[in-house]
Amino acid sequence: MDIKNSPLSLDMAALIRGLKAGRALRGLRSVAVQSTLSPQCNNVRRGFHRAALLRLASDSKSDTSVPPPSYHEVHTAGESSSSSAQGESSEGAQSNTSFQDQSGEHGEDYETEEQLQARILTAALEFVPQYGWTVETIAAGAETLGLSSASTGMFNNGAGDLVLHFIAQCNAQLAETLAEQNNLVQLGQAESKKTAEFLKDAVEMRLRMLIPYIDSWPQAMSILLLPHNIPDSLKHLSTLVDDIWYYAGDRSTDVNWYTRRAALTGIYNTTELVMVQDSSPDFEETWAFLDNRIKDVVNMANTAKQVQATGEAVVQGLMGAAITLKNLTGMNQRR
Amino acid sequence: MHRFFRPRRMLRDAKQPLLWTAGQLCLNHKPVVACVRGYIVLPPTNDEEEKAMLHRMMRVDHAGEYGANQIYAGQMAVLGQTQISPLIQEMWDQEKQHLSKFNEILAENRVRPTLLLPLWNIAGFALGAGSALLGKEGAMACTVAVEESISEHYNSQIRTLMEKDPEKYTKLLQLIKEFRDDEMEHHDTGLEHDAESVPGYQLMKAIIQAGCKAAIYVSERL
Repeated sequence: MDIKNSPLSLDMAALIRGLKAGRALRGLRSVAVQSTLSPQCNNVRRGFHRAALLRLASDSKSDTSVPPPSYHEVHTAGESSSSSAQGESSEGAQSNTSFQDQSGEHGEDYETEEQLQARILTAALEFVPQYGWTVETIAAGAETLGLSSASTGMFNNGAGDLVLHFIAQCNAQLAETLAEQNNLVQLGQAESKKTAEFLKDAVEMRLRMLIPYIDSWPQAMSILLLPHNIPDSLKHLSTLVDDIWYYAGDRSTDVNWYTRRAALTGIYNTTELVMVQDSSPDFEETWAFLDNRIKDVVNMANTAKQVQATGEAVVQGLMGAAITLKNLTGMNQRR
Repeated sequence: MHRFFRPRRMLRDAKQPLLWTAGQLCLNHKPVVACVRGYIVLPPTNDEEEKAMLHRMMRVDHAGEYGANQIYAGQMAVLGQTQISPLIQEMWDQEKQHLSKFNEILAENRVRPTLLLPLWNIAGFALGAGSALLGKEGAMACTVAVEESISEHYNSQIRTLMEKDPEKYTKLLQLIKEFRDDEMEHHDTGLEHDAESVPGYQLMKAIIQAGCKAAIYVSERL
């Protein structure tokens, strides 16, 4: 479990690791070739991959008993904050040549490009308070993993990739937590919450994930508003809102499906905006704002129901009056 | 690079069989809602394209049954006090059953309903009421046209599923075949009750069927 850097002497172990890395490299190159980039970028990226993996091979350690990051771990990052991920991934980088069976259809010898990118981005999150949501952050993250800072060339979208990765990670974390809570409720070990309370808690939980990065979050929001990022950020937002409503118990299959999600999207977005300029201790004002917005929506829903009921009653009254009139004038007889 | 993740995608290995027993919490943390019959209709899948295809199919079927429900409601609103009303009511009840089954499937599988449901609500009611104003024959002609369109649509779905993988989609195929048989029965009932004797039958049928095709096309996408 010794993690010190070994000197670059070519002993047998290092040779074997080099061979393994070479095999991994071939595999990775085939993955890289299949991606859809321009030819020059492809060549550049191939160079980066070679450079990255050669560095990995030379720095690799022989016996770490740290389990290599499985696909599961990398992509859901359920429990990893950025710092623990960084610590784990630097160890994991040393032994990424063997994966558990759960790593999917790509075999055991290497990780896919996507997994590598995910690891780099997760590691980069630690540097966001320092460098903001920029390419420098990604470079710093790559360096933590022992890769060259030029591996930022892998990310066509630059800072956009980092922000979207962070959002996806947060959403996945939230969905996992909500699923666990749902399990407990289903098993009878916890009480189910009322809808308003559930929504409030879910949105608060999700927004609290922004707290470590709240100072630079306006920059991230503006990155998400760039035209080429809008489709992806909207998809993430709709996934988030759909998950929250699903676990809140919404099973509607009519137009309510849309109105509820639209309402929650509005609530989430406005609360996020309030949060970035909130300076109260522990963001109390934000949660109060959230509470009020949810109350508004619940009120509106109740009012809508009342209006509908009243409307139906009025219609019935009118029909009754019409039939009475027809009876009085003798028009209602069967011919 | 970033992924749109939900917990059910955590284990992506297609080679690992997904444990799926009704009533058990499956691997993807989604609570399994035991439906009335106790089995799952849509096969669980991790393939994005397949999921999109199945969702699209369920979405348009749900919209179809919703529209049919409204058509019969419109017909009953006009012809509710006549001799034909028990027949229309019976057909309407079967459509209600179909609709509730699709509601169940949509809720279980988190399928988005089509955005145009309010439109089908109004259009279906208007079509049913409008055709019923032409009398009992008009209502029957409308039924014949619509049920023929729906049967054709279900048949093409059955064909698609059979081409892909009949064993995997057994339950789904069973369901669609059952519904298709019901719709054919309605179609035949309509013919039995003088649908063809309405003036302008061919024209009416053509217009209604064109409308149905357009509705199906749009509901699949929107």
